[in-house]
Amino acid sequence: MSDLKIIVCAKQIPDPEAPFSSVTVDTEKKKVEVDAPDVINPFDENALEAALRIKETMGCHITVVSLGASLSDTVLRKAIAAGANELVLIEDPVFEELDSNSTAYALSKAIEQLGDFDLILTGRQAGDWDAGQVGSVLAEILNIPCITMACGIKVEDGHVIVDKTIPGAIEVVKARMPALVTVSNEVGELRYVSRSKLLAMLRKRIPMKKWKADQLNLAPDLLSQVGLLELLTPPDMRRDCVLIEGSSPEEKAAELAKIIKSLI
Amino acid sequence: MLPYRKLFWKIEHPWIFYLIVISVSFFVIGMCLLYFSVWKKSLKNQNTKLSKKPLGTVFLDIFLHRRLLKDDLAAGLMHLFIFWGFFLLLIITALLSIHEHIHPFLFGKIYIVFSSAGEFAGLLLFIGCLFALIRRYVQKVPRLENTFEDALMPTWLAIIVLSGFVLEGIRISSQPAPWERFSFVGWIFSGFMKGAWTEASYPYLWWAHAIISIGFLATIPFTKMFHLLGAPISIYLQNLPKPVSTTLEEDLTADQEETYDQEEFFEDADEKEHLLPRDLDLATVAFLDACMRCGRCVEACPSNGVGEPYAPRDFVQAMRSLIWQTYSPFGDIRFLKRPNKEMLDRLWYCTTCRACLEVCPIYGPTFQLVLSQRELSIEEGTSVPDLLNQTLERLFKYENPWMSSKKEKLGWIEDDMDIQFISPSKQDYEFCYFVGCTTSVDARARSIAKAFASILQRVGIDFGILGDKEPCCGDIAKRVGETGLFEEKKEQCLTILEKYNIQKIVTSSPHCYYTLNTDYPKEIFEVNHYTQVLHHLVMNNKLDFAKQLNVTVTYHDPCYLGRHSRIFDEPREVIKAIPGVKLVEMAHNRENSLCCGGGGGRMWQGSELTGEERMGERRAREAADTGAEILITACPLCLIMMEDGIKTSRLDKKLKVMDLNEFVLSAMDTATNV
Amino acid sequence: MGEILVLAESKEGSLEKPTLELIHAAKGIASDLGVGSATLLLGNSITELSNEIAGYGLDKVYKLENSLFKDFIGDVWVAAIEQVCKNLNPDAVLISHSDIGREIAPRLAYRLNSIATTDCISLSVNQDDKTIIKNKPIYGGNAIAVLKSLKQPEIITLRKNCFPLAEASSEKSEIVELPVEISQDVVKVEILERKQVDTVELDKAEVIISGGRGIASDEDFKMLEQLADLIKKAGANAMVGCSRPIVDMGWMSSDHQVGLTGTMVAPGIYLAIGISGAIQHLVGMVRSKKIIAINTDPGCNMLKVADYGLVDDYTEIIPHLIKKMEELS
Repeated sequence: MSDLKIIVCAKQIPDPEAPFSSVTVDTEKKKVEVDAPDVINPFDENALEAALRIKETMGCHITVVSLGASLSDTVLRKAIAAGANELVLIEDPVFEELDSNSTAYALSKAIEQLGDFDLILTGRQAGDWDAGQVGSVLAEILNIPCITMACGIKVEDGHVIVDKTIPGAIEVVKARMPALVTVSNEVGELRYVSRSKLLAMLRKRIPMKKWKADQLNLAPDLLSQVGLLELLTPPDMRRDCVLIEGSSPEEKAAELAKIIKSLI
Repeated sequence: MLPYRKLFWKIEHPWIFYLIVISVSFFVIGMCLLYFSVWKKSLKNQNTKLSKKPLGTVFLDIFLHRRLLKDDLAAGLMHLFIFWGFFLLLIITALLSIHEHIHPFLFGKIYIVFSSAGEFAGLLLFIGCLFALIRRYVQKVPRLENTFEDALMPTWLAIIVLSGFVLEGIRISSQPAPWERFSFVGWIFSGFMKGAWTEASYPYLWWAHAIISIGFLATIPFTKMFHLLGAPISIYLQNLPKPVSTTLEEDLTADQEETYDQEEFFEDADEKEHLLPRDLDLATVAFLDACMRCGRCVEACPSNGVGEPYAPRDFVQAMRSLIWQTYSPFGDIRFLKRPNKEMLDRLWYCTTCRACLEVCPIYGPTFQLVLSQRELSIEEGTSVPDLLNQTLERLFKYENPWMSSKKEKLGWIEDDMDIQFISPSKQDYEFCYFVGCTTSVDARARSIAKAFASILQRVGIDFGILGDKEPCCGDIAKRVGETGLFEEKKEQCLTILEKYNIQKIVTSSPHCYYTLNTDYPKEIFEVNHYTQVLHHLVMNNKLDFAKQLNVTVTYHDPCYLGRHSRIFDEPREVIKAIPGVKLVEMAHNRENSLCCGGGGGRMWQGSELTGEERMGERRAREAADTGAEILITACPLCLIMMEDGIKTSRLDKKLKVMDLNEFVLSAMDTATNV
Repeated sequence: MGEILVLAESKEGSLEKPTLELIHAAKGIASDLGVGSATLLLGNSITELSNEIAGYGLDKVYKLENSLFKDFIGDVWVAAIEQVCKNLNPDAVLISHSDIGREIAPRLAYRLNSIATTDCISLSVNQDDKTIIKNKPIYGGNAIAVLKSLKQPEIITLRKNCFPLAEASSEKSEIVELPVEISQDVVKVEILERKQVDTVELDKAEVIISGGRGIASDEDFKMLEQLADLIKKAGANAMVGCSRPIVDMGWMSSDHQVGLTGTMVAPGIYLAIGISGAIQHLVGMVRSKKIIAINTDPGCNMLKVADYGLVDDYTEIIPHLIKKMEELS
């Protein structure tokens, strides 16, 4: 009997919660620039929180795996500071702008090298591309059960029991491990990680593996880029707002009531 | 024959008495050592530097009851009686022993004075105890608790006094002497103590009296009577000069190759149930044990005052209990244990307004205790409320606790304002106006900056701002216990101040003012709050008030300007300098001001912390009750909270809130109307 | 061979509205590419439904009937549609970006050795190389990516309310029964129970009264409910919605959340109260026919996208509004 082994796949992305005024779309370079530090994808943080909660109930080893063209220690060591056991960073320019299937393929190769596991947790989608595919495709590649949109996760007797959100209901599902679960924010916000813990993490030598693409036995033709033709700024959502005036709130409310009635 | 008294009249084997006294004394001392050992275990590794400075305060508070009499004459007097009665009786008993065993001197007039003093002391104590019981059980003063211990102690003391007088009565009745009428109470009692049975019962009564008297002393370690020892210790320690700031003990340049040991890092992971107190300071642990549950803090606490489930006294008692459970080999030895895990989780209610410290007879800073527990909670991570979690993340990522980018810090500046930006080339200005995150970004609070800038420009004061380079002072991180983040912000802030060679700062927010003044290293720059600048201008007749305002106003002391920084008069003098303005005070004013509810990180938390009403609403009603038309504040958080409070209590027709700058500007401005 | 397939979704025997959007889109793409179009329908007793779909004029309706298709089981549907696609070899499969779409699109694409593009808001055809060009919002809606792929069949999920609805057509589709081999064995995720939760279906509302962080307390949401009830009495299907912070605070359940990770809506009236308009929320409601905003911040994003606005405190406006609505009805 050994500890439960959980792998959390975490993507480093520009902050999706950054104030609107810090985001600029460069249509020439086909890049979105955010004037704020990169973060771990918030949904992946939810996945880590789910893993940590399982860890509180039973012996468990959490490995956080992150793959990308350019990864930052500062961003990803937060996972260790929050309570994960090990960090695996796979940084290589060849991962630039990979499409979802390729990302899942590369991740599967990395996971192969990590040995046996019981559970893979990842966020339902990443806040940059909002594609929401890598998790499911990874499950397909590894040929393990796939459960999406979890709002609660438990482990019992070699099975994972998940509360899934579906329209109008919560579905309680069960699958034999090893399995993959994608997680939604209802699972809970990642516990707070204090700055002093984070700073301590930056100084210490942590259990971390750093790999490059050639260490993963990847078939290079199986990696393909997203076919991005163009990047557009969104159409102007602005409308000509007519301000409702009046000398008193009552008057304004009356005016508003009239407008609403006319529109119904 | 000279007046005197025979000691141990009719008492055989008086050595037993001394034996009891000595054994009980040793016992109590042994218990005190236990106290010290428990205290030592919960302390941070630091030496407390002792000094003579607090002795004056200790004297005034203990012997003259200065703090107890303040704001509650009845309670102060009651305790003054008890204290002096008890203290004098102790002295008298000691003098009697000296007379008997060392050097006899209680004869004649000395004896008469001595004996009368004894009567007087006994009476004082008795009346004090009676007074205490009446306050608690007849008047039912709300802040007083009704536990068994609270009824027992005054009754016990009263019985000691009563039995003492009875014994005296019996002795005088069987050995009447003319000087005994100076023992006037005993003299009166002797009139009732006639008969042989009285003399026969005397030894038994005497031993009973002796035992219950010494027995009382034995309760000291086990009840709130510990305050007999603890209160002076707490008063002394709390008034020692505070050590100057506050760098993180961790050496940030430590060995890079130090390996991360998860076990060591998360050693308290199993103790999630409650956060074990540690790294406290001696003054705090002494205060916790000395707390006598008087409840003045509960009465003063704004959170408790609006029906929130937080009470400083209960927090203190819960902490005390936890420390004993954790560090004492015998567990909590008090008879009345008050373990209260739920209260310890209610960390986030406290606004750090300092009202508890203001009224505590032993200077107990409960809000600082909450802060130190917050530090533990932040380190542990799972019990930090989500909204606070997000706010701290934002502070780290975007350098302000709001959802704004640095560019938006310039949003308060209107096009026609010619504001100077501090740069390496622009160095000749009188001070740097440190606008602050909230004032720069919040729609309502921005008017503070606009108004202050306008006033300064009209008066011709050359000031500069940092604009989008202005850092966050880190106050909110400090007040919710994120010291790591605070230290980072402090470093960033100091770097920028150094880069632009800033030496004089004026802030909009009392929070920024307090933090820059207290938690930053001294002697790097001088910081003032804008009320001090306005005051200076008013005192030098630089402000030209064009109008008679003819309005009644009241002033709300922001907690961090008033109680924390002791700036009470300057804003009032500014207000009074404006022609036609009548200033009325609210029921809670100056150092007793009622918190608006925005401090301690609560501005950024959700309504899950609200009680029966909000603090802003309670304060709004208090303001409206004065009949004032305008409520003036001097803090951006107070401004926002009071706007909300006035609106949600539907007082917006009666009362309007303005920042002091807005008010002053309206008096200067010929164009605008109030 | 070389078709555009549409995956139909139904609930309790009636067709879901987004399917009609898919059908409209499919027709357009198919005609641009010069290929056929068909609807794929999985279910248990679906004769009526197939007839209904046939009325929208695509070339075919592929009917897959099996007791296993009665409810949506991800493993089952992926396996079945995989078989169908391997037999039919379509050019593309259009699926709604619904719970079903999110679940099956990536897996299906992988099994067919192709790629999926999710949450697209518009489609067009490049006539030079006959590829489908997809527009997809990224960064929460701060930018639009224009994407192209050379793999087939393309699996594309479409965002709701972005395409016009198909209209009934006189030309009925041919209904084809497709055999499919499917067994319980493919199910790796066992459903233990379904706990019904009282939810609102915001995307069915005609009027949404929505509250955000500017709402002072959860008590005030009762006012919004009152208003919604009054509007219901006036004859429009009104519901109460909210932005994400309200759900995070526990004041409302997540089915009330409007936005990118909530429900995307486009009602006749969207009344936004105390919502500043973070981009993830805006993209969820910006296609509403009329947007009315009440907010004390005159510079907030919501007022910029609104048709009507009040720069006021809702606590002053809403009570009067409720009274006036009562009077008017």
